[in-house]
Amino acid sequence: MDLSPFEKDNSVSCRLASQIPDVCKMEDCCLGIDEAGRGPVLGPMVYGICFCPVSKKEELKSSKVADSKTLTEAERENLFQKLDEANSYVGWALQILSPNTISTSMLQRTKYNLNALSHDTAIGLVQYALDSGVQLKEVYVDTVGPAEKYEQKLSHIFPGINVTVRPKADSLFPIVSAASICAKVARDRVVKGWNFAEELGDVETDYGSGYPNDPKTKAWLLKYLDPVFGYPQFVRFSWSTAQTLMDSKAVAVHWDDDEEDGEKTAQRQGNKSMLSYFGASAGGNEQNHQTHRFFTERRLKSLSTL
Amino acid sequence: MGGVVSLSNTRKTAGTTSGVEEENTSCCKKMSCNASVIRVHVPPEGQLQRAPVHLLPCEIEHSGSAQVSQYFTATTKDRKCEKTVSFRGRELKGQEISCPQGYTGLVLKETNKPGSDQEDRTVKVSSVFDKLTYWNLETPPNSDDMIVMAMDWPELADAIHGPVQD
Repeated sequence: MDLSPFEKDNSVSCRLASQIPDVCKMEDCCLGIDEAGRGPVLGPMVYGICFCPVSKKEELKSSKVADSKTLTEAERENLFQKLDEANSYVGWALQILSPNTISTSMLQRTKYNLNALSHDTAIGLVQYALDSGVQLKEVYVDTVGPAEKYEQKLSHIFPGINVTVRPKADSLFPIVSAASICAKVARDRVVKGWNFAEELGDVETDYGSGYPNDPKTKAWLLKYLDPVFGYPQFVRFSWSTAQTLMDSKAVAVHWDDDEEDGEKTAQRQGNKSMLSYFGASAGGNEQNHQTHRFFTERRLKSLSTL
Repeated sequence: MGGVVSLSNTRKTAGTTSGVEEENTSCCKKMSCNASVIRVHVPPEGQLQRAPVHLLPCEIEHSGSAQVSQYFTATTKDRKCEKTVSFRGRELKGQEISCPQGYTGLVLKETNKPGSDQEDRTVKVSSVFDKLTYWNLETPPNSDDMIVMAMDWPELADAIHGPVQD
């Protein structure tokens, strides 16, 4: 697994893929989808697909791929090695969603939630397999949300493919376990070798699991909090753990699309709120001339003091 | 005319918050407002430092230093027609613009804030700039952006108020 395309720019989303085995372009195939790193406040979320001919399902089973979460890191690396050795009939592809992509998507003006992002990523990977000529007949998906609706959505987008969406699909279908192993191995490697684009000197890499309730992760988040910038791009700013820490320990930042009380905004900006016009002194200090549109459109004001 | 700040009589200046016009040439310029006077202290030309300036589409409740180069400049990417970066998890798109021709941008610092608005104030030019990078929240930079349009004013002002040539 060559991670260098992602490591070149770890602020964006990146696709990595194996060679497509020739047999997958000829025979009916099954494909599994799973993700790794959905919950952590640190590092990327990785989506993985793995596919092989339906006729090779049993062979895959005998290689004892199991749900990646029940395996140790070494076991996962080992199994990934096995999958790689089976590259004559097993193919895989990954979409690495950088923490920066996750932050900026979820905090976008028109919010793009993690579920929508996940679905779109999964759909993109299935489409990639189809576009590469893989003869897809069966797709198995692990899900966290409501399975039935997701299954309908996928069946609608990919007519002619038998889609099965199940919670814990990674422990039910070996091809999903295989996808889960690819995703988890990539996520672990990326987190371990994270290259900070920020100039922070030697960064402590004892992040713990990256889950918000891990004391090591918490300690790391406290240590690497900058009062102005908040965090390096390794951190998911959209996680409430990060938000809460910034709210209490960093300076406040206000955006024009903040959902904030209008009265408060006005106060902060030294403006008058609508309400003030109903006060006793209303109308007392009219402006004696109106500024031309040319200036207001450019926010130009004549300056009489600093 | 209200505010008067300049570097020399050949170069006009654009203040960091709004445009101001040239007048005299001494080293200490005055701007009067009501009773108090604002003095602008300009170090000699050679001692003026050029500083990169960024205009962000948000309000940061902080006045002071920040690790701009470590966090911000280091993660800025030059894409095809724009620069991209993120700040506090929000995507910014921006571009570099130059100060209007003949103008220089000033970063002013007030070291001793007066206790009341009756007292005179002194601000110092801490650095100068002839270009700056402005950032939009998610929107690609374009010619309709407020700061780009604002830069039209000096030329227009010149046309309206400048000496008439035969």
